[in-house]
Amino acid sequence: MRGRLLSSWLTVRLQFVLAAFFVVAGIAKVADPPGFAHEIHNFQLVPGVAVNAMALVLPWLEIVVGSALFFGIATRSAARILAVLLLVFIVALSINLARRRPVDCGCFGTSTVVKTTEQRLADMKLAIARDVGLLLLAAQSLAAERERLRRR
Amino acid sequence: MRSRFLPEAVLFLLLAIVLAAATNALAGSQRKLKWVGSYDLPAERLAAAGVAATPSGAAPASAASGTSAASKSFPPHPDKAWLEISGDDAAGLHAAGSTVFLDARRTNVYEQGHIAGARPFSVWESDVDDKVKALFQEGRDQSQPVVVYCSGGDCEDSHTLAQKLYFVGFDNVLVYKDGFPDWQKRNLPIHSGATP
Repeated sequence: MRGRLLSSWLTVRLQFVLAAFFVVAGIAKVADPPGFAHEIHNFQLVPGVAVNAMALVLPWLEIVVGSALFFGIATRSAARILAVLLLVFIVALSINLARRRPVDCGCFGTSTVVKTTEQRLADMKLAIARDVGLLLLAAQSLAAERERLRRR
Repeated sequence: MRSRFLPEAVLFLLLAIVLAAATNALAGSQRKLKWVGSYDLPAERLAAAGVAATPSGAAPASAASGTSAASKSFPPHPDKAWLEISGDDAAGLHAAGSTVFLDARRTNVYEQGHIAGARPFSVWESDVDDKVKALFQEGRDQSQPVVVYCSGGDCEDSHTLAQKLYFVGFDNVLVYKDGFPDWQKRNLPIHSGATP
């Protein structure tokens, strides 16, 4: 079972899924940096002076690291970085959920759909569940890499 | 093998910064961002400056109190960054004709429809500080009301814009807290396009 879960066949495919997700999410955010800055600011977790720099760099970091994972370049480091990013997203969403402060995650750019507070809180829970799922993909990639290095 | 993580992570980060700088330099005004923003919630800054913003819900009485909105006076409030006003008050000031209205929403949203005569002042776009400075340099009486609005509800952009105006010297900034959705509900004058 462990061998199948960590097989290179499965690992490559899961890495493609994880990488594609981040590249697509990054492109959506690169298209509208002011909108993403607004979403980051709404989280009320980042100092105002750092909001813009984060809104400019984070989407490109997602694209660069996602592309590296997609093309098999520095895959271990790429998977680690994506895991860290996912942990940060999960914590940020969870803090605002605990505050009952509805925020759009901004994961795929700015949403223009008007939603109620309850709908937005429900969306946050879904976003956390999705990020936990992606974190499992990153963990699989890291475990497979470790197994590969151990066998060398 | 472990030691490769740090150099690779730094390389990824540097590449991301270079790409971000390049695309931001090439972006149009609606998509460009200044690297250092100034969006900090002002409570601490205002407190440090010896002033306090009006808490939500502490707006002055609305026109429903018996005074007609058009004739209601809005004296300057140099000790407060902004006061919140109702839709009746905003409508009265708009009807009077001499009050500046500023739209704090994104420019692409502004272009879809805004309060007739309102100017685009999106707080999320890179030129907002230049616009605030230009408004200040028009030489208008800073004790006269300036109404700012965004999308109502939990939208805080109008408050952020109000702070910016307050810090350059406008001491009669009024936040139309229910914003554009309320204006639409009231069937008041709306204009579409890039011009006020």
